[in-house]
Amino acid sequence: MFFFVVVFVGFILTLIVADVFYINKQAVLTLIRSRYILHALWMSVWTSLVATALALLFAVPVGYSLSRFRFPGRAVVNAIIDLPIIFPPLVVGLTLLVFFSQTALGKWIETGLGLEFIFQPRGIVLCQFVSAASFALRSSKSAFDDVDSRYENVALTLGCRRWGSFTRVCLPLAAGGIITGGILTWARSFGLFGPLMIFVGSFRGRTEVLATTVFLEQSVGNLEVALAVAVFMMLIAVVALTVIHVVGGRTRLTA
Amino acid sequence: MIQARDITFTVGDFALRNLNLEVPCPQYFVLLGPPGSGKTILLECLCGLRQAASGSIHIDGRDVTALEPRSRSIGYVPQDYALFPHLSVRGNIQFGLKVARLARETITRRIHAVAQMLDIETLLDRRIQGLSGGEKQRTALARALVMEPRLLLLDEPVCALDEGSRQRICGLLHTLQRKLCLTVIHVSHNIEEAFSVADTAAILDRGRLQQVGPLHELLRSPANEFVARFMRCENILPAVAEPDPRGATLSRSMGILPMNEHEAGATAGHSVATLGGVRLALPRACTGPVKLVIRPEDIRLLRAGPAPTDANSLRVSLARWRDYGAYMKVEIRTLSGELGLIAHVSHAAFAALDPAAGKPIVAHLPIDAIGVLTD
Repeated sequence: MFFFVVVFVGFILTLIVADVFYINKQAVLTLIRSRYILHALWMSVWTSLVATALALLFAVPVGYSLSRFRFPGRAVVNAIIDLPIIFPPLVVGLTLLVFFSQTALGKWIETGLGLEFIFQPRGIVLCQFVSAASFALRSSKSAFDDVDSRYENVALTLGCRRWGSFTRVCLPLAAGGIITGGILTWARSFGLFGPLMIFVGSFRGRTEVLATTVFLEQSVGNLEVALAVAVFMMLIAVVALTVIHVVGGRTRLTA
Repeated sequence: MIQARDITFTVGDFALRNLNLEVPCPQYFVLLGPPGSGKTILLECLCGLRQAASGSIHIDGRDVTALEPRSRSIGYVPQDYALFPHLSVRGNIQFGLKVARLARETITRRIHAVAQMLDIETLLDRRIQGLSGGEKQRTALARALVMEPRLLLLDEPVCALDEGSRQRICGLLHTLQRKLCLTVIHVSHNIEEAFSVADTAAILDRGRLQQVGPLHELLRSPANEFVARFMRCENILPAVAEPDPRGATLSRSMGILPMNEHEAGATAGHSVATLGGVRLALPRACTGPVKLVIRPEDIRLLRAGPAPTDANSLRVSLARWRDYGAYMKVEIRTLSGELGLIAHVSHAAFAALDPAAGKPIVAHLPIDAIGVLTD
């Protein structure tokens, strides 16, 4: 068993180490001093966190409904929820672009409501949400599936209303799965690249995120800087995921 | 009094149909039935976890049909207990008290009292995952009892326990019911479990109540073949009953009937049944096709001697036997081979027969132990 763990983890680490050895001091200094790259870092962090929060906001009620209730068209709803996972990422960007630039409803949102998404920072959040929310929804549903409804029934006989049995029993028990969904959503959002290039572009200091920075730097021949940004992204991701795993695990134990 | 009137509930192919049940308070009542008979669904209807399509439920005269579970003053222990795994033993027990927003002192006092009563004081800070089956059971009981319910509903409460724990918990449940003057409805498929806790029971099959009454009545006077089989009566024999040809002049107590395997005696004023080439005296008057229910433990086996003169004494031969630990299960057949019966006898009584395969003996079927099903 451990053989496979060692091989897999070893392979990934080897790739990272190869990147690290390719980076030079100048590239690291450029990374730290460039206000555009720091802006891209800030954009990556806040947009991915907002997209994840939005995804979780939908994931809990949608996951619970799909897990507990039977209704006509449930299978179709399930399939639609999984669709963005199967979509090639570029298609998500293209679809959003077509919707907001070519359809009446999209145009009305953009111009009538004044909620502009195309080439705007909020477009990054929308793009990340559409691309990654399915992970949160799917994990949330699985988490609620794993919570035996008898726990909620017992809570009802112990004085809870439906909402109370949900918040006091079902939600804490499903928290682990929901957190896992959140992690997957954040990870996907943080590293999203293709749809962003199509829907919001990569304007320096405006809609640039770290993933697009890597592309921009390598496209102008700054391979060392591109790799420095990539390693920096990996570092952030590893730290964040480790913290979330530890905190999430502790939450599950002490809830 | 717990009253369920005309309860109808359908789920998939299964349905409870016009079910009526009355349980006086306080009482320990067992709802018996095979798996899939609807016991749990009925319990959940009483709880309010399922809403019956029609009918009403009254608890102590109060119509609770439309009330939510939390307003019914019931305690519920589901199968496998459903203890909240994210809470400690204390967290589980105080769950309902916290929902009710009782004062901290009250919560502490009630937890202490119920933990002392169920002997789980040392477990209060333990996690659920580390508890044994019996400890989980007592924690689940504490969680329900701490709410001081008027009605306690237990769904197969001891089915997951080993024999020792099962007996201890059954004893505890029986004591608690008396001590707290509670009404308990206990769902089970196990007859021994029912006898160990209750005096009264109902038997359910495929959504219909088959019989309600004291357990000894279900055992001795089953209402139908299903109840007889469920109560583990192994001798259910089709027969034809007719009026006693000897009229009122003969009496079992007189012991004057000539007995053999073709003609057993009859009691005055009652009927006789013909089956498998023998005639058996019946305890009540009836005619036509019947089914005779004879409990294996009621059949007495005796060494063959002179022609038996007691009513319902048959010459039989030993066919097979098996040691069941507490008793011997013995298969006997009439000498003509047409009628087979199963008897449960003590080891001592069996040894006294000096058993050998095919050996002729006498089987005595006391007339009062014969049940007659006419439907």
